[in-house]
Amino acid sequence: MKKRLSSASRFLTVSLALVLLLTVCIFSFLAVFMSRKSTETISDVGTTYMTGMGEKTTQHFETTIQLRLSQVEALVSGFQPGDALPEVLREELAFNAQTRGFESLAFYSPTGEFDMIYGDEPLLADPEPFLRSMNNGESKVAVADTGHGEKDILLGVSAEYRMADGTICTALVASLPASYIADTLSLYSETSLVYCHIIRRDGTFVIRSGGAFRENYFDRIQALFEEQGKSGDQYIRELEAAMDSGEDYSTLLNFGNERRHLQCNKLPYSEWFLVTVLPYGELDQAVSDLSRTWLYLVFLGCAVVLTALLVVFLQYSNILKEQMAELEKTRKEAVHANKAKSEFLSNMSHDIRTPMNAIVGMTAIATANIDDKQQVQNCLKKITLSSRHLLGLINDVLDMSKIESGKLTLNMDLVSLREVMDSIVSIAQPQVRSKHQQFDIFIHDISTENVCCDSVRLNQVLLNLLGNALKFTPEGGRIQVALYEEESPKGGEFVRTHIVVTDNGIGMSQEIKDKIFESFVREDSARVRRTEGSGLGMAITKYIVDTMGGTIEVESELGQGSEFHVTLDLQRAETPEEDMILPEWNILVVDDDQQLCESTTASLKSIGVKADWALTAEGALEMLEHRAQIRDHYQIILLDWKLPDMDGITAAKEIRRRFGDETPIMLISAYDWSEIETEAKEAGITGFISKPLFRSTLFYGLKPFVNEAGAEEPHHEELLGDFTGCHVLLAEDNDLNWEIASELLSDLGMELDWAENGKICVDKFSASPVGFYDAVLMDLRMPVMTGYEATAAIRELDRPDRDIPIIAMTADAFSEDIKKCLDAGMNAHVAKPIDIREISRLLERLIKERHCNT
Amino acid sequence: MTLKDCYAAMGGNYEDAIGRLRSERLVQKFVLKFLDDGSYDLLCRSLEEKNYEEAFRAAHTIKGVCQNLSIDKLQASSSRLCEALRNGYTPEADALAEETAEDYRQTVAAIRAFQEASVG
Repeated sequence: MKKRLSSASRFLTVSLALVLLLTVCIFSFLAVFMSRKSTETISDVGTTYMTGMGEKTTQHFETTIQLRLSQVEALVSGFQPGDALPEVLREELAFNAQTRGFESLAFYSPTGEFDMIYGDEPLLADPEPFLRSMNNGESKVAVADTGHGEKDILLGVSAEYRMADGTICTALVASLPASYIADTLSLYSETSLVYCHIIRRDGTFVIRSGGAFRENYFDRIQALFEEQGKSGDQYIRELEAAMDSGEDYSTLLNFGNERRHLQCNKLPYSEWFLVTVLPYGELDQAVSDLSRTWLYLVFLGCAVVLTALLVVFLQYSNILKEQMAELEKTRKEAVHANKAKSEFLSNMSHDIRTPMNAIVGMTAIATANIDDKQQVQNCLKKITLSSRHLLGLINDVLDMSKIESGKLTLNMDLVSLREVMDSIVSIAQPQVRSKHQQFDIFIHDISTENVCCDSVRLNQVLLNLLGNALKFTPEGGRIQVALYEEESPKGGEFVRTHIVVTDNGIGMSQEIKDKIFESFVREDSARVRRTEGSGLGMAITKYIVDTMGGTIEVESELGQGSEFHVTLDLQRAETPEEDMILPEWNILVVDDDQQLCESTTASLKSIGVKADWALTAEGALEMLEHRAQIRDHYQIILLDWKLPDMDGITAAKEIRRRFGDETPIMLISAYDWSEIETEAKEAGITGFISKPLFRSTLFYGLKPFVNEAGAEEPHHEELLGDFTGCHVLLAEDNDLNWEIASELLSDLGMELDWAENGKICVDKFSASPVGFYDAVLMDLRMPVMTGYEATAAIRELDRPDRDIPIIAMTADAFSEDIKKCLDAGMNAHVAKPIDIREISRLLERLIKERHCNT
Repeated sequence: MTLKDCYAAMGGNYEDAIGRLRSERLVQKFVLKFLDDGSYDLLCRSLEEKNYEEAFRAAHTIKGVCQNLSIDKLQASSSRLCEALRNGYTPEADALAEETAEDYRQTVAAIRAFQEASVG
């Protein structure tokens, strides 16, 4: 695990480092490449710009010179030599030339002398070419010194005027200040980078601008190169070659850290060349600023990308670590579960082998002593016990495997909490008696007795809890079951039902408490080794409670006992509870548990009975005394079997002794009262009523006293209903059974018709008027047509009363049979032998339900 | 011979029967009628004819009657026979049928003795 993690980390770290390196390389390369590229681009731009600039300036020069030449030509053509007197002509020329801004005007003799009309006489720098051009009748410009240290541009146009000395001149020459040309051509400006010179072929300046101070441009280049320890010869040679051939020349001058672009164009109308210079200094500065900015941005971008990468890496690494931890946890859990299962298997194998050994051994002993009946019976008894134990274990394992494979489902049906509690009490009783434990059951605040639930699973939960309590509580210990209801947060349709099973047995350690609901865990210490069981009971219980949407909590302390608290939100059953009303009696409840007294009084009140309660026999006797004095006797007394000051039987004797035999006394007990029945009867107890005291328990227990006649033998007649006028069809193939059933059921006042088999049953029912029969009692095994078939046939008849209640009666009481009955469409099932009370109760319920529904 | 003795003789539960039928008169009436019940004959006939389905039903009926009358011994043996025949013939059935026959004879003998005693 660690190894895997570290190798993953190493891989990630190395990849990260490589990616970082790669990123830095790519960005650096980009920076360098772009910087170089931008320098090249600047040079290209410079070349293009300079070429255009040179041409523009050349053109501009040409236009300017042409304009000025044409002005001079206009003078010549405006004032022909023969038009006027020479003096007048000179004046006219001078006036016109001055108005056109010429600095001076002169006649130029074929020999090269000036006859000044006005202005200073210029001194030509290189008179030869100029004079030649003038004598050839061309127009030309030339440069001349004015004598004031400034330069003038001379514009010469052929003309033949008579000069002052009487000879004929060859040209009229006008002059302009050199600065005029420089200004007009913008050869130099403070705001522009570019500056221009005009030079002659030999390098001397015609017009000088910028920082140039030497007289010769070639000297200037040479000097600039020499400052850097280099020679400018090569450039000068190239420049001169270009000048000679009259081509444009463009080059880049590199003075170490400074670069200048040089452009040379031949100027028209002259022997001059325009030199345009672009120093890259500032451009380079701008470019290098740009490069620097670009570089910064690149590295900033690089840093951002790297940071993002780093963050992603760290985040991913964290996630990886978490996942690894999770994986490790899951693996440990799986290993733990697997270990628990293996341990469980080995324990379970051992547990299965123990009863199995007993069975095998006892079978061997029985075989060996086949003639010794006593011995064989003894063996069989032990085999039965072991088999039952084995069956229990296997059932638990099967249940658990059903749960583990998710196959456990709930079969919701109508459940009476009273019946559930009654049944678990009767199951618990034998064990409680054999271990001499105190067993008590409390109910209070029961608003709904009938709920929708899976009765089998609910029973299983309760029996598991109660079974554990019984198992882990030593002899003489105390076990309590409490049941109470409250409003459910799920709404009015539901009722929150609490079931609390408490004991003062051996309790549990914290460790076991934490694991008790896990599958395949069982406390395997010496103190419980003798206790039987698969160890799956609590896991199954928990699972069932979870499936029912409830909760189960456990409180336990080692040596102090345990408390299991189950909370379920059960749906209230839709069937309206029977109309349970008793006469307005006064009843006295005597019990040492105040909660039971209060809850019982409340229940009694809800069925129309006024009740008082007393916590002790002494208190009860006092209350009876008081009532006797005011001659308002209690109609019935409910007496607990166990009271703090005297037991119920003694108390009953005392009541009989002091107040006579008239008032019925009912003994309340959660125990099987068969053992004390005789004693109780002798003490004057009228009858028994079993805990828990549900409303219906009280109602059915006290109902017999409504008729004085019923009060005589309450334990026989207590639950029998009155069916006078009811018609019931009984399908039974055996006459003896029919006679017995008929004898017993006729006592309830109903009228019975006999159908000897299923076919006759269906025929009789179809032949009867609608609504004639109130119920059908159906034997299952009959010739011609079985009970199942007959039921199905009745349900398929086209009659409005085909939903008649059908109760199955059979000698088989397997749960599959019951299910089969219900599947066939029967409403209920009773086992043979006929229990008149059960049939009476069922018939009463089913007939009443049907009437309610219709 | 009283009815209680008769029950003891045939391995029945007298209290249980009284508890269910609530009077000695009724128990006596039905016990005597047991002699006329044709289920046992049907059982013997069906077994002979190897009609095990019918035999199962007959055994089942005997079991039901015995349950109602609390004739526990015969009920136990007929119940076992019933289970052996539930899904058709099984090898145990023969021995169990013999056992049931034995119990039936014991029951009938007890009832006849009682009948004679009460008539006589």
